[in-house]
Amino acid sequence: MTRSEPASEASELDQIQTFFAAQLRKRGALPKDSALAAQARAFVSASGRLSPVERLEIYREQFWLRHTASLVEDFPGLSGILGQEAWQALIEGYLEAHPPASYTLRDLGLHVPQYVEAQPTLAHHALCLDMARLELAYLELFDAADAAPLNATALAAIPEDAWERARIELQPALRLLHVGYPVASLRRQLFLAQTSGESVPIPAPEPLHLLLFRRDLSMYHEELTAGAFALLEALTRRVPLAAACAQAQAEIPEEAASIAQNVGAWFQSWAARGFIASVEV
Amino acid sequence: MTGSAHARLGLPDLGVGVGLRVPHYAHVLGARPAVDFFEIISENFMVEGGKPRYHLARVLESYRVVQHGVSLGIAGPEPLDRAYLTRLKRLLAEVKPPWFSDHFCWSGAGGAHLHDLLPIPYTKQAVTRVVERARQVQDFLELRFALENTSSYLTYNASTLSEWEFISEIAERADIGLLFDVNNVYVSAYNHGFDPYEFVEHVPHDRIVQIHLAGHTNLGAYIIDTHRGTVIDPVWDLYRRTVELTGPVSTLIEWDDEIPTFDVLMAEAEKARSVREHALSGQKLEPIPRGILTQGSAQSVHGTHGQGWQQGGPRETAEQGAGE
Repeated sequence: MTRSEPASEASELDQIQTFFAAQLRKRGALPKDSALAAQARAFVSASGRLSPVERLEIYREQFWLRHTASLVEDFPGLSGILGQEAWQALIEGYLEAHPPASYTLRDLGLHVPQYVEAQPTLAHHALCLDMARLELAYLELFDAADAAPLNATALAAIPEDAWERARIELQPALRLLHVGYPVASLRRQLFLAQTSGESVPIPAPEPLHLLLFRRDLSMYHEELTAGAFALLEALTRRVPLAAACAQAQAEIPEEAASIAQNVGAWFQSWAARGFIASVEV
Repeated sequence: MTGSAHARLGLPDLGVGVGLRVPHYAHVLGARPAVDFFEIISENFMVEGGKPRYHLARVLESYRVVQHGVSLGIAGPEPLDRAYLTRLKRLLAEVKPPWFSDHFCWSGAGGAHLHDLLPIPYTKQAVTRVVERARQVQDFLELRFALENTSSYLTYNASTLSEWEFISEIAERADIGLLFDVNNVYVSAYNHGFDPYEFVEHVPHDRIVQIHLAGHTNLGAYIIDTHRGTVIDPVWDLYRRTVELTGPVSTLIEWDDEIPTFDVLMAEAEKARSVREHALSGQKLEPIPRGILTQGSAQSVHGTHGQGWQQGGPRETAEQGAGE
């Protein structure tokens, strides 16, 4: 089949794609009104079995199903707290506010914490925000770069007097998160409840300093003291070791003595567990 | 059989392979079953580290791997994404496939990436756009590029070419390969009411570097390319005719929804091998039915509406790796 084309086809191609993309992103089934039917007829052929609007609706429905399914996979804790109805409303609003922009669905939820933060009327708002931040951190950890840990020989070769000014490079697959609720254990409970069917109570507030890390390809969390957390935070900003200790002591004065007393043991433990990628002296 | 000296653009015939999917990783890496080759979805491995890269490295130790992309959106209104191509090039350098592929489609507009293989109007203007970009992609990535015909659920009033005319002209003018998806030919033929054999007969067979086969979901009024279930008989017949025209071409089974055990997947690959060998030997098993649009029964709508289908099956996610 070959027929002549209109002269202004360059713009027609873009017009078709702009129209099509706009229909896909509409929340809720496409209306059966005459205005949309006329617009659709201008671009899309009827099939004999389906009208142009019905043909567009196949793609629109899939846009929403595909993206909401991807988000529930990435945020099982957040969706578990909210329940199906509130979760669906949240995530549809999110997709309208932050349409997918990356080539990979892995990046779809990058703005979820930011969006949750901007929804102050959301049930269990503070808990939801903590859970969203935790789950985004897990997403980032999951495929963060691999880096060989600093080995014991390299560590032993660092001169004693160099430690004071040493800058520590931590593993890329490591995150620090200060939360107001026990979200890591809650997420685990919600995950198990998917099969057991047991209801999971909303936990009471409990401020925690979490270290999230990947080891042997799996992800873990552990609770830190406020002092150890502050020290690691300073190290992630590439503050030299001695200055990082001083900053942590100033930030958490009630733990100043503990920081001074434990820094050597902490460092040895972090190094032994592979958290240290390199030391720049 | 018409396979010529220039068949497959000089690229190797890898035999019959299957798509590498997350539920099969443990079996593949543990049992190391005999598989001619695997196809990976490029985007699932364009990450820095962790499980996806670990699993890929282990697979590459034992198997030939080809790369198939789903996000290029070559016909879209916006220019090619250079950052995407740069990351893809890094992965290609690691995997070293004999070719790489994506789709005749567009995937976004107005800054949004819609993660779908959206149909292109079959016009001369679209041909020009895709030819120009396909050349850029192939030149930048320094590897033979192939584009795949997609399944579609609508057609445009603006189209002035048939789909086979459209993809053939692009392949010839851009000097690229074709990844010929036989199931997609069947699905689109059903949805739009054309003869799938006319499609199969009228593409440049020497440019077909790979073939895809998959199951689909027939909803009666239309068919969805879900990559669910086994390949239906009319698609096997189309495949047989395709191989008669192309000669030996690497063939891949895709199964992305309700993914079965690896043994079931490999049984489908072995069926493909059998059909392929019969086609190459010139043996006629039975007459090829020409009225295939009346065949294939409608399946239940339940299970397709209400869930999104995704090319490449589920990606490996944080939840699957959680070891808290």
